[in-house]
Amino acid sequence: MGLSVTADGGRKTPWRDGSFGYVVPALLLIAFFFIVPVIMLLMRSVLEPTPGLQNYRELLGSTTYLRVLLNTFTVAGLVTIVSVLIGFPIAWLLAIMPERWSRLVLAIIVLSMWTNLLARTYAWMVLLQRTGVVNKVLLSLGIIDKPLALVNNLVGVSIGMTYIMLPFIILPLIGVLKSIDPAILRAAALCGANKRQCFTRVLLPLSLPGIASGALMVFVMSLGYYVTPALLGGTSNMMLAELVAQFVQSLVNWGMGGAAALVLLLVTLVLYTIQLKFVNPNRAR
Amino acid sequence: MLLDFEKLGGLKPFLIGLTVLVCLFLILPILFIAALSFGSSQWLIFPPPSWTFKWYQALFTDPRWLYSALSSLKIAAIVTVFSVVLGFLAALGLNRGSFTGREALRALFLTPMILPVVVLAVALYALFLQFGLAGTTIAFIIAHLLIALPFSIISIGNALDGFDKSIEDAAILCGATPWEARIRVTVPAVSHGIFAAAIFSFLASWDEVVLAIFMASPTLQTLPVKIWATLRQDLTPVIAAASTILIAFTILLMVLAAFFRKGRKV
Repeated sequence: MGLSVTADGGRKTPWRDGSFGYVVPALLLIAFFFIVPVIMLLMRSVLEPTPGLQNYRELLGSTTYLRVLLNTFTVAGLVTIVSVLIGFPIAWLLAIMPERWSRLVLAIIVLSMWTNLLARTYAWMVLLQRTGVVNKVLLSLGIIDKPLALVNNLVGVSIGMTYIMLPFIILPLIGVLKSIDPAILRAAALCGANKRQCFTRVLLPLSLPGIASGALMVFVMSLGYYVTPALLGGTSNMMLAELVAQFVQSLVNWGMGGAAALVLLLVTLVLYTIQLKFVNPNRAR
Repeated sequence: MLLDFEKLGGLKPFLIGLTVLVCLFLILPILFIAALSFGSSQWLIFPPPSWTFKWYQALFTDPRWLYSALSSLKIAAIVTVFSVVLGFLAALGLNRGSFTGREALRALFLTPMILPVVVLAVALYALFLQFGLAGTTIAFIIAHLLIALPFSIISIGNALDGFDKSIEDAAILCGATPWEARIRVTVPAVSHGIFAAAIFSFLASWDEVVLAIFMASPTLQTLPVKIWATLRQDLTPVIAAASTILIAFTILLMVLAAFFRKGRKV
């Protein structure tokens, strides 16, 4: 990089003229098959069946569709909260425990993360059904006296989604906790802070930006999930991604499909921008 | 204190207990599926009354399952090649270029990874319908390539960050043409990044569900689409067998990836 003489004919910065050419193939792919189709879809939302905003009026004005939005945000919120509450202690232990043990736990986390999404969702469909293992165990322990309805509703979706999202919160939090200098906590203890104070006034505040960033990521990912809600949820309580798919596949209503897609896209992009600020506060300002 | 494993005190059993529970929560469903695939019960009773291979037999003798597995393999292989080549070029340009908007471009290349896949799937489906490409292998390849490419750009980009470009310049000064130097010096030096890119790209395509559902036609399906379509009808143990094969395949690739990571350190 610092070389002033190169064999490219001795020009000073040989990449200045040529380097853009290398990104062109990827750029063409993204332009033609990502930017163009997404814009075309969004155009259809204001052009079909007639030009205007009636699709958005219908989407945001009917209780059926507002219900879908509410379902989506409720499930995503619940999944995020539970994932953070469970994920933080796990990441904490993983950050400080001896490496031979943390490696085993990490292998399990990564394995579950890379296992095919359908395989994992299928497992929960079988486990949670009326005659499934979960109900059987709860019945035999005497916790319940008749089987619970755990699938085809938002309970099933939330369990399945939490299962999928846990690795996505644990892995980044390990890094966050590892980057905290243990000396700071020793200093707090030396100054007379007890364990609880050390936790609430030192450890937690120091990891809060990382928690917020991870939580937002999980929330955003949960909002747009399609497969798990479609299989574990019922037809009566849909989520937003399912609504987009249904408009296009079953109802062939591209106008409404485009409108629902735009809502999903906007929410995702706004939250993602906020998340970027947590990751790199200096750049965002 | 709180960040010292030995001095956690009363918190230690609590944290360890929770971690063990979560590990069980994460691993048991996967083992459960593997066990069910060998169980004889059509109704997925657990523990199974007896053991059998009949679901695997049903899987391997059904030409539709075999054909979808073959389609999956073919599409994933082609996607991997394109993803690695395009990813290498793009990473090279992003890594060394000095043109303006480089950071914005990098962000743009990674966007397909963070946007809700269903939006991309529906948008591509509309496009391919217009061009008469819906339900073709080309449609599958393009769609899967979009989500595989970010993995390549990240993996190869990271590898290039750790490679000193002056080595390539030295080769050029010794008489190699720029492309000769890149292929014979740079590519071997970042080969661990290229292998990682290949494995991630393959898995991204192999496991893709949402895009595949929209790209599929009655005659052309990948394995996940076939599982999806079957799942919507019933929970047959044949799916447990198919899932177990997918899981075994994933573990194999993960071990392979770990092996390459280790090889780099030595």
